[in-house]
Amino acid sequence: MNISVRILDRAQVVEVEGDVDLGSSPALRRTLFDGLTHTPKLALNLSAIRYIDSSGIATLLEVLKDAQRLGKAFVLFGLSPAVRQVFQLTHVSRIFQVFDTEQEAVGGE
Amino acid sequence: MPATLKFVIPSDARYLAVVRGALGPLTLGMGCDEAESRAIVLAVDEALSNVIRHAYHSRTDGVIELECRETPEELQFTLTDTGETPDLTKICARQIACDQPGGLGTHIIQDVMDTVSYRASPMGNCFVATKRLKKRT
Repeated sequence: MNISVRILDRAQVVEVEGDVDLGSSPALRRTLFDGLTHTPKLALNLSAIRYIDSSGIATLLEVLKDAQRLGKAFVLFGLSPAVRQVFQLTHVSRIFQVFDTEQEAVGGE
Repeated sequence: MPATLKFVIPSDARYLAVVRGALGPLTLGMGCDEAESRAIVLAVDEALSNVIRHAYHSRTDGVIELECRETPEELQFTLTDTGETPDLTKICARQIACDQPGGLGTHIIQDVMDTVSYRASPMGNCFVATKRLKKRT
């Protein structure tokens, strides 16, 4: 799994590529929690994720709860078919704000 | 004649991708479509992850045996380990549309597979899950 972060004026965009599983989700968790402390809006690009398991979904739920506690936004965009299927299986689609594109996700940054 | 594949892997999350890489072509070759194949691979991966986390407490020196048995009607996956025996009363799936992270893996396994069972024996812990195959036309 590869992670990169881009810093915009009022948001951070996190790009993830590869598989998010039990072994790699702790690194994603660290990146997302770190990002939340530095920006009012964190946007996660899921388009290059080939695979995500329940530990990855649990990570996203934890980050969302922390964002809500801090009064910040955590949004997702670019769900690949593989990710969309796991979202449906775990019934979390309605819990997150999900956008098709980065532009929509960061709100015209 | 039923075909059987066996994997013996360390209880190390680095090997999960290796098993996923084998199960994808296996399920596709048995006639599953892309979505069904992804779901089965995910469910087996969740079961392996549960063993690593809960039976071996993330220790990497344990051993997990995964047997995949194909019959004309179904795929059967049997996981055996010698880690701590799970407390069956604590194995529970999460509530639907709940924002709590716990129980997601168990929910996925139960949702994807047609039958799921756990048992402990002197040989170790044993998890068996089956998936009925759609009739090929």
